[in-house]
Amino acid sequence: MRIPIDKELYSLLILFLFLAVMPQFLSTYNVRLLSVGILYGLAAVGFNILYGYTGLISFGHAMFWSAGAYGIAIGLVKLNLDPMLSILLAFTLTFVVAVTTGYLSLKHTEIYFAMLTLAFAQLIYALIIKLRDITGGDEGIYGIPRFPPDIEQYYYLVYIVAFALVILAWWIVRTPLGLGFQAVRDNPYRAEALGMDVGRVRLISFILSAFYLSAAGILYAPLNRAITPDIAFWTFSAIIVIMTIIGGSKNMFGAFIGGLIFIYINTQAMNLTEFWQLTLGIILALLVYLAPYGVVGIVDRVVDYVRKR
Amino acid sequence: MDINLFIVQFFNALFFASILFLISSGLSLIYGIMKILNLAHGALYMVGAYITFTVVILWLGLSWYSMVVAYLASIAVVAALGIFIERVLLKPLYNKPQDLQLLLTFALIFILDDIVKMIWGAQYKAFPTIPGWSIPVGDFQIPIYFIVTVFIAIGVGLFLHWFFTRTTYGKMVRAISYSLETSSLLGINTDRLFALSFALGAGLAGLAGGVAVPLYTASPGMGGDAIVLSFAVIVIGGMGSILGAFVGSLIVGFSRVFMAILFPVFEIALIYVIMAVILMFKPTGLFGMEMRERR
Repeated sequence: MRIPIDKELYSLLILFLFLAVMPQFLSTYNVRLLSVGILYGLAAVGFNILYGYTGLISFGHAMFWSAGAYGIAIGLVKLNLDPMLSILLAFTLTFVVAVTTGYLSLKHTEIYFAMLTLAFAQLIYALIIKLRDITGGDEGIYGIPRFPPDIEQYYYLVYIVAFALVILAWWIVRTPLGLGFQAVRDNPYRAEALGMDVGRVRLISFILSAFYLSAAGILYAPLNRAITPDIAFWTFSAIIVIMTIIGGSKNMFGAFIGGLIFIYINTQAMNLTEFWQLTLGIILALLVYLAPYGVVGIVDRVVDYVRKR
Repeated sequence: MDINLFIVQFFNALFFASILFLISSGLSLIYGIMKILNLAHGALYMVGAYITFTVVILWLGLSWYSMVVAYLASIAVVAALGIFIERVLLKPLYNKPQDLQLLLTFALIFILDDIVKMIWGAQYKAFPTIPGWSIPVGDFQIPIYFIVTVFIAIGVGLFLHWFFTRTTYGKMVRAISYSLETSSLLGINTDRLFALSFALGAGLAGLAGGVAVPLYTASPGMGGDAIVLSFAVIVIGGMGSILGAFVGSLIVGFSRVFMAILFPVFEIALIYVIMAVILMFKPTGLFGMEMRERR
């Protein structure tokens, strides 16, 4: 099946072209922040496979980001494995967590599904806190080595992986598999009647989505050089949901810029005032009223308006 | 385990369960009636804690009389805050996608946490002593305050039961939770009842904060733990059910306190295991009814 190139792909390509030259104009500190922004965007894209395209809201996606980040950190720091084996460890961990929690939580949908994912994520959080010898407990894991150590080079590693995975996500949701996700989202009964295995389609979407989060987590741990259990707490799961809604869950472009915008707002709020949470909260609240379909929704409205003139 | 230690931990768990019940019954009734999952419910609990701290420690001085005044102040302030949130912030979102309500209540956590920090500072606010005398048990002491709290929780549970089954208001609220459309066709003022329900739920969070603060100290992030445990409570007990919140609080309270002594590694984990098992086999919780999509 040939997939036609559309506006969304062009928007993504332009955005990534822009991101390719950005480090030339930024300080090292801001390059680091932009790397985090790209990883958040990648996480939102992964989350959106499940949320925007399959119609399931998970409140526990922090567990997959953590599975990736803790997997690689444990491999590199605690077990002294080489990077490839550490990544393999992280993905194995993610796979085990995703298959188990996915199989169990997908017995339900809607709010019950959200609650089950939240419960499993909190269980993982509790384990991270308590299994001190492996995870470092409250203090987390420090001194994670970075390859390449230079922040600007590392930025391009993050950039290339994110670029490939975001375009892959754009492609996947247009393949028969991705169309299956959307069929299940729009009308699971009809999809079932047409002979689709709804449960299996949902599970595939869940696992795929988990791997995106894990990939972002795997890149995040060395970038930050240290990880703490905060990345497994439910507030981080909520932030993943929120970035996706801010950008717009309608498509992958929206989700991706949601991550960038979130980091931007967060950083600006932190720089401007001691009360950055308040500023962030007010901006989030304003977005709810002014941009209910995310930033992508605003762009669509502007385009419509210009066309009508 | 030493029998005296067991008795003390038993009362500890009862106290913890009472606080959980006060928080989660409010969360549960707001969800049951309005189908809104108020993520900021923990933040409202925090505000209640600070109000009681201010009234008792900064204004009136520690006594039973000032505790009662402080509880009433906590309920009133947080209920008023609840009415503002429901009427001004949530009402415009009722005919929009449900995710937006979730997003807004999450934003409120950030906002309330920082407002509290602005007013009271970032330091922990601890009571110097727990009000009232204690009952000695071997080498340990059980504060009489624990027992008072248990009675407050039971009293609130009975009040809610009476309110929903015996009063006209309560019956109307139950009617709108079954069918909003039919109720408004029958002439029930759903706007006013939504505000009332939200105020009631928020007021309970305020009371919970007030009751908890002498033992659990007030701090800007205290709502975070409370809200997640309350989720566990209402999922175990059944969303929208007061009896469910009661039983759920006891399960969560006791498993938390006793696991902390017996198997510290699984202290928090067990609660979520129970929650997950119940959701898998009985998704509506122990006492929940089948939920219908309303909007």
